[in-house]
Amino acid sequence: MSDNGGPAVLAEGLVKHFTGREGDVEAVRGVDLEVRAGEIFGFLGPNGAGKSTTVRMLTTLLTITSGRASVVGIDVARDPDQARHRIGVALQEAGLDPRQTGRELLVLHGRLFGLDAARAAERAQELLSLVELDDAADRVIKGYSGGMQRRLDLAAALVHEPEVLFLDEPTTGLDPASRLTIWEELRRINGQGTTVFLTTQYLEEADQLCDRIAIIDRGRIVRQGTPEQLKADLRERRGDDDQPTLDDVFLDATGRTRERAAGEVQEVSA
Amino acid sequence: MSATIALGKRGLREALRQPDALFMTMFIPLFFLVVNTGQAAEIFPSESTDFLKGQGYAAFQLPITLLLAASFGMAALFLVEEIEGGYFDKLRAIPVPRYAIVLGRLVTEGAKGIVLATVIVLLALPFGITIASGPLGFVLIVLLSALWGVVYAGFMQLIALKTRSAAATNSGGLIFFPLLFLTPNFVPRDLLTEPMEVAATVNPVTYLMEALRSLILDDLDWGKILPGFGVVLALGVVMLFLNVRTIRNYD
Repeated sequence: MSDNGGPAVLAEGLVKHFTGREGDVEAVRGVDLEVRAGEIFGFLGPNGAGKSTTVRMLTTLLTITSGRASVVGIDVARDPDQARHRIGVALQEAGLDPRQTGRELLVLHGRLFGLDAARAAERAQELLSLVELDDAADRVIKGYSGGMQRRLDLAAALVHEPEVLFLDEPTTGLDPASRLTIWEELRRINGQGTTVFLTTQYLEEADQLCDRIAIIDRGRIVRQGTPEQLKADLRERRGDDDQPTLDDVFLDATGRTRERAAGEVQEVSA
Repeated sequence: MSATIALGKRGLREALRQPDALFMTMFIPLFFLVVNTGQAAEIFPSESTDFLKGQGYAAFQLPITLLLAASFGMAALFLVEEIEGGYFDKLRAIPVPRYAIVLGRLVTEGAKGIVLATVIVLLALPFGITIASGPLGFVLIVLLSALWGVVYAGFMQLIALKTRSAAATNSGGLIFFPLLFLTPNFVPRDLLTEPMEVAATVNPVTYLMEALRSLILDDLDWGKILPGFGVVLALGVVMLFLNVRTIRNYD
């Protein structure tokens, strides 16, 4: 539970418009979300549906055109610094400084979050062990593999022991072994009480990890519930005896056929 | 302030890991010093050229070398790389003052500028250049050059934040060259043709150059030194304000 007793993440009528050379683009068109404290919440959607834009608004990285959003009861637009103290963020690209070593990066983040030098060094070592990067700790990040960079990115997001961890497609581009390692880390982190807000295009990932999911399409939430609820709803509507998969739910929610999806969303295959 | 220092130390660690980059930063300005002096030293012999105050033409050219070296900072290019790679967003998601994110790399540029200016002046001494204003003048030369490096890096960071493009940031750096040459870089201001004198008078880099030149050729002449520091401080305040405003409105 968040210490305010309310939801860990709350979005009400969240809207984001971008103004560019080609006019006004409505990336997010009124998103309502409620993420409960302690759960792993999956946020799914096709490419360009508004997942990353929503996450960037929730994590104070983008201004909000209209609506409101809060994390652990703190309004992200009114009090962004307070919100930043309570959240950890790992975005789509493993955002790391390639010229630092893994240890230097974690110590720097510890210092930036206000830890003293000794505690920052200690916390860096704890996290390096947690993500199994002890051996590579003093190597420059530029030489890390994609999986190692993701794990370090995850560790950097955990330096200050956040209450809510936002992960934007944390396993995209990873090999199956690295993906499983990240899943294990997420379960462990969640087991320690951290709420996880996860965007992914891998439906199997959402099915395996998430307590509840929301599907966004064209800037609007089109389904929300537990994976089991969503599958059961679809089966009931179709009147099928076969249990639908989360792929079927996703395709139904986004109005895509398997044939179209195979072209548009690589990860959704027949 | 501790966040600024932590981010500044990060930049210094990176600079120490790439000493070859510092060598290249010095090579081009020293190359111009040698070439410009070689081309014009015969025209301006020290014995008969009043504005050289008894020194060789290289002493007159040294300020350009210092300003050029200070203008080759890497802060903006590293910033673009961080924007493109996502690390900039990682920093923005941390509750540190926004000014610390832009100042961190500028602190690094200041420290690098001190090292560069010191090395360049020390390299120039065996070639007959003397610092007429003495040890205090030496310190002021190093300080003024380094401060200019910080201001210029601030200007380049501003382009990086606005454009988020390495190509545009690189192109922005070219603006300095007209500013450097619309100055009394080969002869004093009163010997320039009238249009060039007007251009040099409105160009802030002129006052920097004249302050540095005064420190090399004259005893401490505060009437020339203070305008140089004034220009750097005024531009520094403007650059910092614009950088912080841009990062605060960054979407």
